[in-house]
Amino acid sequence: MNVLVWLAAILLLLMAWVGGKQGARSFLSLFLNFGVIFLTVMFMMDPAVNPILITFIASILIGCVSLFFINEVNGKTTIAFISTMVTIVILLVFIVIVSQKLMIQGFGEEEEEAISGLSLYIGVDFMKIGASVIIMSTIGAIMDVAISIASSMHEIFKHNPLLSKKELFKSGVSIGRDILGTDTNTLFFAFFGGYLALLIWFKDLNYSIGEIVNSKIFSSEMILILCAGMGVALVIPIASWINAYFLVKTREK
Amino acid sequence: MINKTRNRTTKRWILYILLLFCLASSLLFVNHNYSFYDRPIAQVVQTTLEDTTKTKDMHGNEDTLFTQHIVAILKNGEEKGQQIHLTNQYSTSGAYDQQYHIGNKLFVSIDSETGEKIAGSITDVKRDQYVLVVAWIFIFTLLIVGHKQGLLAIVSFVINVLLLSFALDIYVHYSRVSLLLICGLCILLFTAISLLLVSGFNEKTYAAIVATLIATVASLSITSLVIWLTSGSGLRYEEMQFLTRPYHTVFMAGLFIGSLGAIMDVAITMSSSIFALYERDHDISIKSLKTSGMDIGKDIMGTITSILFFAYISGSIPMLILYLKNASPLGFALSMNLSLELARALAGGIGIVLTIPIGLYTTVFFVKRKKARV
Repeated sequence: MNVLVWLAAILLLLMAWVGGKQGARSFLSLFLNFGVIFLTVMFMMDPAVNPILITFIASILIGCVSLFFINEVNGKTTIAFISTMVTIVILLVFIVIVSQKLMIQGFGEEEEEAISGLSLYIGVDFMKIGASVIIMSTIGAIMDVAISIASSMHEIFKHNPLLSKKELFKSGVSIGRDILGTDTNTLFFAFFGGYLALLIWFKDLNYSIGEIVNSKIFSSEMILILCAGMGVALVIPIASWINAYFLVKTREK
Repeated sequence: MINKTRNRTTKRWILYILLLFCLASSLLFVNHNYSFYDRPIAQVVQTTLEDTTKTKDMHGNEDTLFTQHIVAILKNGEEKGQQIHLTNQYSTSGAYDQQYHIGNKLFVSIDSETGEKIAGSITDVKRDQYVLVVAWIFIFTLLIVGHKQGLLAIVSFVINVLLLSFALDIYVHYSRVSLLLICGLCILLFTAISLLLVSGFNEKTYAAIVATLIATVASLSITSLVIWLTSGSGLRYEEMQFLTRPYHTVFMAGLFIGSLGAIMDVAITMSSSIFALYERDHDISIKSLKTSGMDIGKDIMGTITSILFFAYISGSIPMLILYLKNASPLGFALSMNLSLELARALAGGIGIVLTIPIGLYTTVFFVKRKKARV
């Protein structure tokens, strides 16, 4: 049988064993998210549609699956959802500017072998697709931080309902700081693992530092890692502020 | 007390000034480092659009091709200061080409010199100055938001990159050393360094380190066993790019370094929350520690698996689009481009889920030991 089927079956069993019903739900959400990515690819193939817009719609769908389907719709998840979207919009603007300057779209010369024989003039805008790849890579981590901050701040607010907006914001940021290190680590190692072959390639072919830094493929991977880290950091003050704002507002009512 | 605060503010100011100095000098350097490159660099001063053609490939994809004439000024080498004439062809999709604008800095090769006129061709774009700017924005975002934790995240990132680069140097130069052995050692060091930096020298860190290592070995065994039993069917290694080495080992090594971060994340979350419960109430029973630990584990399981999932799958979107637009059958395009990424994500997920019980029992063991000592 297929490796992927086996691994998926083992993962499902483990998730159901450790997490019970919630675990099975998490597994199902992976499937749904895969479906969203698949649909995104399908829509991006149409040159008439703007990939950035599709990314934004895909982010909304992914947010619904990961936040509302796993947890359920309530104050916490709604605020986490809003914070995720705000962060993504800011990050998206930044990434589009950066990738225009860097010209990192499409494929690098190291990938020539893989794309040889394929027609490259296919009409879709690879610059925007590149930007959307960065967003989609980071969205999982951004949502993780957003939901952690939202649930801890709700917990704090429940125990001390008299905290001011500023104090709430501060406690949110300090919770965020604790997750910042581990979440950036998760992303960094995930990307290192993926680029291991590329790094060995650079070493084997004796690339100089200048060649590595200026190559399309390395700079695009570097931008991906850096933007992912920035996304995780940015969502902290954004989520804390939105949470503080809404929590204080509910108290005033 | 006042002295201490004052001390701290001075320290902070020294740090800021040092950072600004690094920022200014590095920006100055990358914008004027032409003489450090052997390859000729030219800056675009004038572009003219010469030709526009509409194309249609055999799969019916429409695109527009443009031909651009570029005049640029050479920035280094013997011809420094002279003009160079270049031609560039680009398409609207820009999969393997791009439009150049005035001000862009390009690596060029000089093809011919007839009298005053130098003609050449473009080899690549000079990207270092932008990479540096983004790196600085990253550093400042992390420092402003994260203060000390942001600094530690950057430090651990830099240390891990250097360590990995050093380990790969050893691997490349002494090919008798097995990559898996090197990665094993790296994993040990990565875990110790990252976790000690994130949460300091204390028992919850030790518990997390032990749990991470056990979970990594456990998930390594499961994944290897599955690949061995199925003899790797369904994994399309052809798609792995940049291969100069045996692909199977490179893939396995990448897989374990890749899931390490997520496993550490789960392990430290488990151990610090269980220790926090114990610190709050020293008489808490082992049984209720286990129940609350399991609840915390259930909560984080889904989100952390999806972090890995998105980080891996998204990277293959451009290639997938290229394949599908070239009329590849859907199943072929998916298995060519996604099989390894999916295997990585699934194996990582297995590691994450396994870490929950492993982290729980390891931490409970450490708590018990601490209890016995008190």
